[in-house]
Formats: sequence, structure tokens, C-alpha cells
Amino acid sequence: MVTKVGTKGKTVAAPRKPWRKPWGAIALFIGPVMIAYAIFTVYPLLASIYYSFHKIQPIGPGKILYTFVGLENFKALLNDYRFTDFAVPNTLIWGAFGPVIEMITATTLALIVYFKVPFHRFYRTAWFLPQLVSGVIIGLVFRWIFNVDWGLLNVTLRAVGLDSLALNWLGRTDTPLWVVIFVHYWATFGYSFILLLAGLTTIPEELIEAAYIDGATRLQAIRRVLLPLLRPTFVTVLILSFMGKMRAFNVVWVLTGGGPIHRSETVATYVQKRAFNWTSLDLGYPSAMAVVWFGVVMISVGLITRWLRGQAEY
Amino acid sequence: MSKKFRVLVVGLVILTMLLSACATPTAEVVEKVVTQVVKETVIVEGTPQIVEKEVTKLVEVVVTPTPEPAAPQEGPIIITWWSHWANEPAKRTVVEKIKADYMTEHPDVIINLSWWDKNPLREALRATMTAGEGAPDIASDWCRLEEVEAGWCLDLTDALPWENFIPGTELDNNFEALGIPGRWKLNLGASVNMLFYNPDIFEELGIEVPDDFQFTQAEFLDVVKKCSEAGYAGSAASIGNRPYPGVWVVQYPLFNLVGPEQFDLYNSGQQSWDTPEARAALEYSAALRDAGYHPDTFATMTIDEFHVYFHTQRQACFLTIPSWYAGRAFKAVEEGGQDPNWHFGMLRYPLMDGSAAPDTIWVGYESGYHVTSATKYPDVAKDILRFAAQPKYGALWTAVTNIPSAIKYDPETDWPSDELLAELGYPAGVWDWYWVEFNKVYGGLPTGQAPSPLCGDFNDAVISALNEGLPQGLITVDEAVEMLDANLCK
Repeated sequence: MVTKVGTKGKTVAAPRKPWRKPWGAIALFIGPVMIAYAIFTVYPLLASIYYSFHKIQPIGPGKILYTFVGLENFKALLNDYRFTDFAVPNTLIWGAFGPVIEMITATTLALIVYFKVPFHRFYRTAWFLPQLVSGVIIGLVFRWIFNVDWGLLNVTLRAVGLDSLALNWLGRTDTPLWVVIFVHYWATFGYSFILLLAGLTTIPEELIEAAYIDGATRLQAIRRVLLPLLRPTFVTVLILSFMGKMRAFNVVWVLTGGGPIHRSETVATYVQKRAFNWTSLDLGYPSAMAVVWFGVVMISVGLITRWLRGQAEY
Repeated sequence: MSKKFRVLVVGLVILTMLLSACATPTAEVVEKVVTQVVKETVIVEGTPQIVEKEVTKLVEVVVTPTPEPAAPQEGPIIITWWSHWANEPAKRTVVEKIKADYMTEHPDVIINLSWWDKNPLREALRATMTAGEGAPDIASDWCRLEEVEAGWCLDLTDALPWENFIPGTELDNNFEALGIPGRWKLNLGASVNMLFYNPDIFEELGIEVPDDFQFTQAEFLDVVKKCSEAGYAGSAASIGNRPYPGVWVVQYPLFNLVGPEQFDLYNSGQQSWDTPEARAALEYSAALRDAGYHPDTFATMTIDEFHVYFHTQRQACFLTIPSWYAGRAFKAVEEGGQDPNWHFGMLRYPLMDGSAAPDTIWVGYESGYHVTSATKYPDVAKDILRFAAQPKYGALWTAVTNIPSAIKYDPETDWPSDELLAELGYPAGVWDWYWVEFNKVYGGLPTGQAPSPLCGDFNDAVISALNEGLPQGLITVDEAVEMLDANLCK
């Protein structure tokens, strides 16, 4: 308590100054990040929305003609079979199955490491390693693995007498999508695993011990104590996984290019093709595609969040 | 969804719509309403053919302004030159020699030449030209239709000595049929679409090459079957990382069947594929596929790998390939090149029943060079390309790369000396057998060329239907025709 001498010599309690946030320090620390965020995230988003309502025609170095076309680009999307029949359904399938497989795997592996099984330190590193490898490298390596003649997968299948399963994985219409889903899952499950493991380690050990004291088995402790307390982290990781699947690009691009015949096409790869490989410099149409997909993803994230809403208290 | 979030999203959309509807950044655009004769495509009733008709219509023409000349800098003139072929040392050698010779003759000019792979080069060009900063003066793999329409290329009609080039060069990168006059590209290399065979496999299987180097379509199919039964692939070409090798098995028969003028229309997306000729070519490609023409690894083998598959692993009877084969194969074996002592053979295209062009060879052009409209020194940049168009560099191109040149030359007077070739690291004589075979099989034959697809939708349909679908049996001929016709260029 601050005191000061009053005018009549009496000591009185000085009024407490209202606490003010140190805006200077806040700006100093957060400012650069926010500026970068505004430049590399917010601005491109707003620019894409703007472009989506225009036809864009370069007319010289550094000169671009923007012609407002209203909803024409969006209407054209409805008649684009590559978008409606391949890119969207493929990506939605991926968005539905991919996170499920990944979350089941990541949760299981996180629990394994959490309970400190033998060699748990090795597993923690090994299972995170794929996350450190570039998606391009992963795509190239798996293209060799899935080679129909000498790829590791088919050679192994033939060696164990499963010749009938040694398929042309990247040259059919029914398998390429599942191949890219699997490869992308392999490349990214380590991220979900490490986040879930971090979430598990924040749960007080006393709660687990109390459950054991009360006679719970390990499985019951996982089901009744750990998983409910892990829920907030689980929801966050699930949403991140879902968003990652909905915009997956580099593995698909290298592994199949979206083919054959668009059977592994995703919205991201199709946007790339329309923007840069379509004998046109107009970015309006691919921007419309990107804007629509942004809306789909945001709505989906909202629905997932609402569905899984739940609070853990301990 | 929380209220705040909803408000934020709605606010963003409204803000963007307001920005869109308000002033847009414009450049100087002159819009004129002129009466112009334009070509309209119509479907002739009763036939599947698309026919062009000339009609008189009032059209609004947006005139692209001429690029403004920039202020020249003081001191030596610095020219920036971006080139493809980063991993093709022979081509690099020729272009570096051109650069060095020009700089020797023009001490006031400094040329900064940098080497790229094709796709990163195109992406960098597009980014810099869009931004209006950082673009080079000279670039390769540029000036396609969309870039010319964007005003990103300078017209070279009056800049190059066109009489120095082989006939037909002026048709490459030529959009006059679309109402866009001008020539935009310096071609150093010409490209001949060839058919190689493995003589060792032929000898093993008792296959004899016809005296005129040309199998009939039935004979060619039989040869493929023999190869397949012996465990070899018919052809090594595969589509692992390229959107076109699978199309060759359709294009070669179609070219032979209809000739270059009609093939031009099919290939560029201006002609329906629902014709007896197109169907015949498609059916033949399907028959070849069923006979084992494509390797098992067709879907995944890359362009570098299928070169090695043919010349080193020797697992295929044939290889359909343009003459840029030499750029990848005529280098050190440890770098993926072939053994110079292994002499493969060449054949003419299978003779289709009812062929309209039995002997004609399909030619095209390599990547070439353009002057971008961002250059501060258009005259100097054009002069560099004019300098490169001399006959001695055409001869040097062929001598070093073993690829035909688009520039005419006299072998007696323009051919580089053995000393120069040795100095450049490409001693004479190593690949002479290749030219003996080339002249024996293709020498003196008529040639024809055909442009690429003129629109993105058709190009994608060709990739899907003819590069990926039909060669792998994923679609039928009817489905291929339907896919192509649904995406014709309008």
C-alpha cells in the first residue's frame, strides 16, 4: 500500500493507480508477428476474395486489368466437372477418413509412450521423424515404394505369396486416392502424436494414481480418466488434422499430380493447375475456387467444434 | 458458430464486395468498338464436325498499350538472361559460347546468364512480370499465347534474320490464325519426332527391319506382340513426371493417317475427335496397349528413368521420342547417359492403312528464347538473339548437342573445327553413327508440324484421356472421344 503525506501532515493511503497493460512491450513482442500475419495470411485471403469477383488480365509488365464479373466465376464452378465430380468429393473423403485414421493412431501411440513402455524414448523420436521430412521427398520415395515392378510394397507382397495384391497402385482409378491418403497420413501422424502426448503429460499423475487406488485397471484409467481429460487437446488436434487434410497438396502433387484422370485430384491441386498450368493468366477463377473452399473448411470446423464441445474439469 | 465469428466473416465479405465494386486499379486501356471480321465456330448440322465460318460482327477490342521504354542506365549495358536446360550440359555449352562471343564483340555489354529448370523458370517469370520488377531481358520457355496476349513479349519479326531458319520455323509460337500477328521466339534447336528400336532384341527375336524402315500398322503390332511375349515392353516411354509421353502412341498414327494439316486441327483442339480417322488412331493405340506396348511401370517411370530403361537396361523394343533424346542420353554414363558404343536403330512411323502422309515426319522445336517487354534495352536484347541466329551457331548446336538445328548452315563452311569441339569438351566423332542412321532413315523426307493445344480445358482433356486414361486401359475409346470433344477450344 502506497502512502503519502497529506496536506495537514497526516499520512493517508495513496489511491492505487489503475493497472495499465504495458502496450509498448506488447506491441514490441507481438507486433512483428502480427505484421507478418497480416502480410502473409490476412492480405492474401482478402486479395483472393477480391480476385474471385474479377477477371484478371495482365496487359504489360506490372500492369493488370481487373474486370468485375460479379458471381460469374462462382457460377462457372458449378459447371466444372473437374471441381464438382473429382476435386471436391476426393477432398471431402480425405477430410472424413484421414483425421479418423490419424487420431486413432496418434492417440494409441501417445498412450503407449505415456505409459513408458520399453524403448518409449526411441518411439517418441521415431514416430515424430516423418514430420521432419519434406513432403516432396516423401512423395518421391513413396513413388518408388509403390512402383508396380520393383517397388518395396509389391516385392514384399510377391515374396509372401500375395501376388494378387501386388497392384498397379498409382495407375488405376480406384487406388490412387487411398494411396495419397495413406502417404499423407504417414507423413503427418507424428504431429498429432506429439501434441496428444504433450496433452497427456499435462494431466496430473495423482488422478491416475487415485484411479488405480480405487481399483481401476489400466484400460479403465485410460477410458474413464485420461481420455476425458485429454478431450480439449484431442478436439484441437482433430481440427488441425482436418484442416490439414482439406488443403493437402505437396504429397499429392509429387506422387500422382492429381491423376490418373483426376482420380486423386484435390481442391488444392486443382487450384494450382487452374492458376498456373491452364494456358491462362486469369487468377479470378482459381481464386473463386479457393474462396469457396475456405468457406467450406470454416463451416466444417465450426460444425466439428460444436459437435465435440465439452469441457473437462479437474 | 459464435456471434462474434459470424459478424467477422460477414464483415470481411461485405468489405471485400465494397472494394471489388469500387475503383479498381486500372492501367491505360483503350477500348475501341470496331467492326471486325471474326471467325465463329459452328457445328454443322448432321455431322460432328466443327466448322469455322467468317462472320461480320461488331466487337469491342481492348488494345494493349505498347510497353513504355524505360530510362537506360549509365555505364555498361547489363543484360539479364534466364535460360532453361540447367541439367543439359551440351545445350548450356552452346549458349555459353554464344554469350561469350557476343560479349567479346560488344565490350560495352555484360550478359548475366543464369540456368533454371523449366517449371521454376516459368513461375519466376510470371511472378516478376506480374510485379513489373526483377524480370530478365531474355528468357526461354515463354511467350505462349497467354503471355503474348498479356503484352509480356516483344515482337521479333523485324529483329531476326528469318531467312537463316529452316522452313516452317516461322510457324512456331505463331498466333496469326488467332488474329495476333508477330513472331516471338528464337529457335536454336529443331525437334524431330523419331522412333528408335533396339537391334539386339530384334536379333534375339528374329525381327527383320523392312528395307524402307517402315512397318505397316499390322506388322508393327505383330512386332510389339513378339516383344511382349519375350518379356520386353513394346516401348519405354512412360508418364511418371511428364504429361505427354503417353500421347505419342496416338499422335504418331494419327499424324501418319491424316497428314500435318489435319493433325494440326486435332492436336490444337479445333477439330472433333469423333471422326473415322481419329477413332482409327485411338483404336490402334488401344490395340498396341493390349499387345503390351507400354511397360508395367508406365504410371511411375520418370522421363530420366525411361531413357535409361531403353538405352542401358534395354528392356524395351522401341522408344518414341523427339530428338531432344540426345540432350539426356548423350552424356557420361555415370550421369545417366548411354554407352556411345551401343548403336540403336531408327524407323519411320508405322504405315497406317489409308495413310495420307506415309513418309512425312512430324517436326517441332525445342525451347527457344524470347525478349521480354520488361527489358530496358530492347534493341540490345534483340541484337543478342540476332547474333545467335548465325549459321555457325546452328552448326555448333548440332555438333555439340546432336540435335537438329532450326538454323540453316553449310556443313562445309560453318561446321565447328575439331579443335573447338575438343576445347568445349565435345570431341568430334563420338556420335557420328547416330547421324549416319538419322540421315539413312529420315533424310530427305517431307516434314510437317503441329501446334500444342490452344486452351487449358483441351490440354487437360488430352492429358487425362490420352496420356493417362487410354494407355492404361482406364477408359474406352468412346470415353476418350467424349472427353476430348467436351473440351474443344472455342
